[in-house]
Amino acid sequence: MGLETESAAAAGGAVHGHRLSTVVPSSVTEVESYGLADPDLAFRLHYLRGAYYYAAGDAVRGVTTKVLKDPMFPWLDAYYPVAGRVRRPADDQPQQQQEDGGGASRRPYVKCNDCGVRIVEAQCGRSLDEWLRDDDVDRVAQLCYDKVLGPELFFSPLLYVQVTKFKCGAMALGFSWAHLIGDVASATTCFNNWAQILAGKKPDAITVNPVKEPQDRAPAAAAPPRSIRQVGPIEDYWLAPTGVDMACYSFHVTEPMLKRLQQQESAASAGAFELISAVLWQTVAKIRVNKEVKTVTVVKNDMSARSGNSLANEQKVGYVETSSPPVKTDVSELAAMLAKNLVDETAAVAGFPGDLIIYGANLTFVDMEQVNLYGLEIKGQRPAHVEYGIAGVGEEGAVLVQPDSDGRGRVVTAVLPKDEVGSLRAALGSSLLQTP
Amino acid sequence: MSLLKAAYQRIMVDNLQPLVLVHLLAASLVALLRFGPDELSSLLRELQPVHLFFGGFLPAAVVIVYLMLRPRAVYLVDYACFRTPHTSRVPFATFLEHSKQSPTLNSRSFRFISPLLERSGLGEETCLPPAQHNIPTHKYCTLDGARAEFELVVFSAIDDLLAKTGIAPDAIGILVVNCSLFCPTPSLVDIIVRRYNLRRDIRSMNLAGMGCSAGLISVGLARNLLQVAPQGSHALVVSTETITPNYYVGNERAMLLPNCLFRVGGAAALLSTSPVNARFRLNHVVRTNTGAGDDNAYRCVFQEEDDEGNVGINLSKDLMVIAGKALEANITRIGPLVLPLREQLLFAISLVARKVFRARIKPYIPNFSKAFKHFCIHAGGRAVIDELQKSLSLSDEQVEASRMTLHRFGNTSSSSLWYELAYVEAKGRMRKGDRVWMIGFGSGFKCNSAAWECIHPAPNADGPWATSIHRYPVLIPDVLKH
Repeated sequence: MGLETESAAAAGGAVHGHRLSTVVPSSVTEVESYGLADPDLAFRLHYLRGAYYYAAGDAVRGVTTKVLKDPMFPWLDAYYPVAGRVRRPADDQPQQQQEDGGGASRRPYVKCNDCGVRIVEAQCGRSLDEWLRDDDVDRVAQLCYDKVLGPELFFSPLLYVQVTKFKCGAMALGFSWAHLIGDVASATTCFNNWAQILAGKKPDAITVNPVKEPQDRAPAAAAPPRSIRQVGPIEDYWLAPTGVDMACYSFHVTEPMLKRLQQQESAASAGAFELISAVLWQTVAKIRVNKEVKTVTVVKNDMSARSGNSLANEQKVGYVETSSPPVKTDVSELAAMLAKNLVDETAAVAGFPGDLIIYGANLTFVDMEQVNLYGLEIKGQRPAHVEYGIAGVGEEGAVLVQPDSDGRGRVVTAVLPKDEVGSLRAALGSSLLQTP
Repeated sequence: MSLLKAAYQRIMVDNLQPLVLVHLLAASLVALLRFGPDELSSLLRELQPVHLFFGGFLPAAVVIVYLMLRPRAVYLVDYACFRTPHTSRVPFATFLEHSKQSPTLNSRSFRFISPLLERSGLGEETCLPPAQHNIPTHKYCTLDGARAEFELVVFSAIDDLLAKTGIAPDAIGILVVNCSLFCPTPSLVDIIVRRYNLRRDIRSMNLAGMGCSAGLISVGLARNLLQVAPQGSHALVVSTETITPNYYVGNERAMLLPNCLFRVGGAAALLSTSPVNARFRLNHVVRTNTGAGDDNAYRCVFQEEDDEGNVGINLSKDLMVIAGKALEANITRIGPLVLPLREQLLFAISLVARKVFRARIKPYIPNFSKAFKHFCIHAGGRAVIDELQKSLSLSDEQVEASRMTLHRFGNTSSSSLWYELAYVEAKGRMRKGDRVWMIGFGSGFKCNSAAWECIHPAPNADGPWATSIHRYPVLIPDVLKH
């Protein structure tokens, strides 16, 4: 970035002054490689983007980069795969690939070479209040270093941590996490673990299982699962190309708004996730006048059904299909369908060979209600606000339903084509988000 | 048996001159006693002042002057090495990734440094200064960064040393610092004087540009200064190399080597003419410079600009050969001081046979194991240690300290010898009376030696090896896969 563009960026209130460094595990990792299970590989073209906001105050003011970095060294001793790099056996031994010819020799894995996690320091000329009020489209992408795996997989970190300091002294932490290493529950547990070390507490024990058994592949003739879309072939740049620019737009469904929605749609007897998703389903369907949005993908994080592996992709993936167009269906009916007519395809998705996308294959609803987003305390201070987005989402878009800071409302992030965001904003402003 | 050997070493090797004198005195006493008491008394009556002068006063004066002009013995009270923090750790993969991100390094150079690192003998725990953990590296290698690195390394080592020895900073009368490639104003000694409130009349010297062998040059200088300082003075010797300002940003292959091999490190040592609480005795310091008249040796380690104007250190391909020759020159001078008579004779005979009679025999390599128990060879690189092991016919265990220091800490330049000594002590191999040979190599081309003798081994394994010694020795593969 030239000097002129830097100062222009600073003047414009954009995030600027990026300074990169690396943090590695504090001791040599004995484990050589970490296998990737089928569900891990199914999600490999997606990237989580989590932004945590901390209000200005004495606690945050004293937080230097060194204070944030020092606990990362022992943290990465336990979470050593996160400090590794993706390798494909074909890269290491090109001749072996010709001999084997089978799928096993091309299977990517994580080389645990302690290469490290990238830390980014940046500044923003606006205050936190201004930032939140300005409500920029795709502001999450400014706070999370926007990189994916590739074109050089050897040198692509699996995690970027960006620390952005606002003019008022507030701070934002932005995590760019490669989905293949773990789902959002794994990621948030990982970050909270770091915060525990930062606070001087003994962190929760974690289990990292480096051996992942590949499951039996689905027979080639079987129809591809409805929840996903095949893409590719993906070579070295692990991002599925979309014809349009996608952007994240986050909004807060406050407790009164949610209560009103539940009262309006009491016929559905569905939870907050289904209700909000149903509203978004209908709104997006209305925006997309030329397209039917009859099939949606649903991704759920069930915290009670996890295996105990600290790094794993254990989300449930399924789809819901409606026969009638969503614009003509009641919200409560859509919500009921989301609750009851979900067709689970988790195993089929995991076993699907080839390159695929899940988020954005159809309009996707991601249930993050049970994920502990607000446990990431810095110097005893809870985040004022947390919003997650996803990079690598397909054209159909995705909606993430997350808890808000007191747990009674919801934070919703819609990942949609940029030109749909304006319409969505307007539509929601006059319906769901209207102040009661 | 070893008691006999120690006694032999002490008497026949270290103290040959006084031994001869004592023999002469004894002989004259015996001759004198041959005279009977009557003859003796008549002899005494005939004594004239001139006899008294030449027979009594003069020999006594000679003995007294000899005793007074003998150099004072110099002792090492203790030493401390910088404990490299894990927050500065640089695994191979990280080093390569950062190099890849460098806007100045081309792909050909990148393909060169990768196999170099794998075969270098360095491990995955070596450390670079905080400034070099940033991307792109060269942008953050500033003067402030260099000072910060120096202060981090040296203050930590000195704090350690002062705690170990219990010496107050104002008891230090001499301060010698050597750091080859970083020479700011005010000097590095001034930084230390300011930080520790050292005496106003401190005799301080800052040695810059003297290469990796400068650690022993500093020790030699401190020893010399202690001869003219009041008896019982203390000298603080600090050896370090500051990595931050010396990141080479070009693509000349011979000049990329230092980026790959040099790592953060530093040591502080306290010398004194007082044997109180001393742990080692400094027996000899022998310095050899082979640069005069030998262009290859002079240009062997050469700081210069490459074709693009980037400054770096150019390491010659003939470094091993030149190091071997410099070692031979140093051995020729230290050999007579430390080797037993038998080894010296054999070496002399072989030398005469080859040089005078041009006999085609292999040069006799004196068995230095008879003179020293422990060897600290500058961990300049794997090839240097291999070459020296061959030249001196040393066993793997004798070069273990050097190899393991290279693996754990990388090439820390002048302080590597202290890390090696710390290894031997952390392993519990040092005993009272053991002799240590420190050999340093560096630009010039210089080869410097120091011979120490242990008085008190270290009481515990505390030091730079405290967290890692239990993993050593490790088997260092020819090629380290990452």
